[in-house]
Amino acid sequence: MTGFVDLFTESNSALHRMDPRVKIASVIFLSLLALIISELGYLLVLAGVMVLLLLIGRASFSKTMFAFSYVSRVMLLIVVLWPIFDPSGTPVLLEFGPIKITGPGILAGLATAVRVFCLAAVWYVLMFTTSQRDLVRALVKLGLRFDYGLSLAISLRFLPTFGATVESIKDAQRARGLELDRGGVAKRARNYLAVLVPTTITALKTADTLALALQSRAYGARADRTYLRELSMRAIDYVALVVVVAAFALPFAAKYLLSMPL
Amino acid sequence: MESMEGPARPPQSPAKFVSPKVVALYAMLTALTTAVTMTLVIPLPTRGYYNVGESMVFFAAFTFGWRAGMICGGIGSAAADLLLGYGFFAPITLVAKGAEGLVAGILGNLKGGAPWARIAGIWAGGSCMVATYFFAEWIFLGFGVALTELPANVFQVLLGGLIGLMLSQAVAVYRNPRSKQA
Repeated sequence: MTGFVDLFTESNSALHRMDPRVKIASVIFLSLLALIISELGYLLVLAGVMVLLLLIGRASFSKTMFAFSYVSRVMLLIVVLWPIFDPSGTPVLLEFGPIKITGPGILAGLATAVRVFCLAAVWYVLMFTTSQRDLVRALVKLGLRFDYGLSLAISLRFLPTFGATVESIKDAQRARGLELDRGGVAKRARNYLAVLVPTTITALKTADTLALALQSRAYGARADRTYLRELSMRAIDYVALVVVVAAFALPFAAKYLLSMPL
Repeated sequence: MESMEGPARPPQSPAKFVSPKVVALYAMLTALTTAVTMTLVIPLPTRGYYNVGESMVFFAAFTFGWRAGMICGGIGSAAADLLLGYGFFAPITLVAKGAEGLVAGILGNLKGGAPWARIAGIWAGGSCMVATYFFAEWIFLGFGVALTELPANVFQVLLGGLIGLMLSQAVAVYRNPRSKQA
């Protein structure tokens, strides 16, 4: 759980080459699709599509397992806990005291678990196939102000650095007898302080230096700045965008305009 | 509250960008929040981990104002969710931690950051975060999961708030050695 596993994997799959803006739009539309569908069968179909997307994106098996280790726990919790708190429906299977386990309750729990799988998997497809640099670039092209984008890019750049700083300060303090996992809340808080104060002061010093570096490189000198790499939509990207929008819009219309059971 | 604007820009400057000091500071606070959230973790069965990332949200809010608390806390925590593979939680985290930083920053800096203001900030900001997570989990994951998560979130706010409070006072001494706070 600790340490920095970069979810992005270098590869040349169709999803890697896709415009990051289309991928961000796909995440939004496919998430909404997973939220409007409530029938277990259709959700399983959507889950199959997600697995297919992971395969197309050539997701590495170990990273997928790392990411799913948490989601699988949540799915298990939902399947177990949902029927206990959902006494609706007629075929009552079990009853003790106020708790009723019903057939529809169990099905609803399963459907929610599959929905959570879909919601999680669509983010993995994005994170596995898009580098952090491309994500920030896409956000800037989508209208995020350049200076905020720069701030975000810098913070992603410094993330592994600070991670290493935290780890090395933790080791240094441990060597002096610090115990992070003992004692009550107040004692633990004081112990964490021994790690966090040096880390924070390092970060604030870095911020001062960084501000000077930005200024000396004429940050913000011109409003009409140019970019080294431009994003450009290819024909296939437009096709993908249309497919994704249709994949959301058609079931949405079927459910809420034609009131079909989905 | 700390002034975040940096030195005044010369009037002929054509670009309207945030000052480099703010870009650098916010970038560092965001990275710090993400790094602390990801590295200082206590494993748990439900959401996988407790973390002391809360403390960085409160620290940013108390030391640099509500804007820093909202932006760095919200984006830093959401980025940690994304990078750890809890991507679908990132939008919820953005709202929950952003609101926490915003509220803690506004309330915690009343009367120049008096102790009662700080405690009110932790209480109100923490309530925002716990409530956002509770209702979001209720809607998306069901009542049972939301209920099991609740004590973990409350504990995380208490621990994080305490650490954030002490951290902001320790760093205040570093930033202004003549101040009497300790």
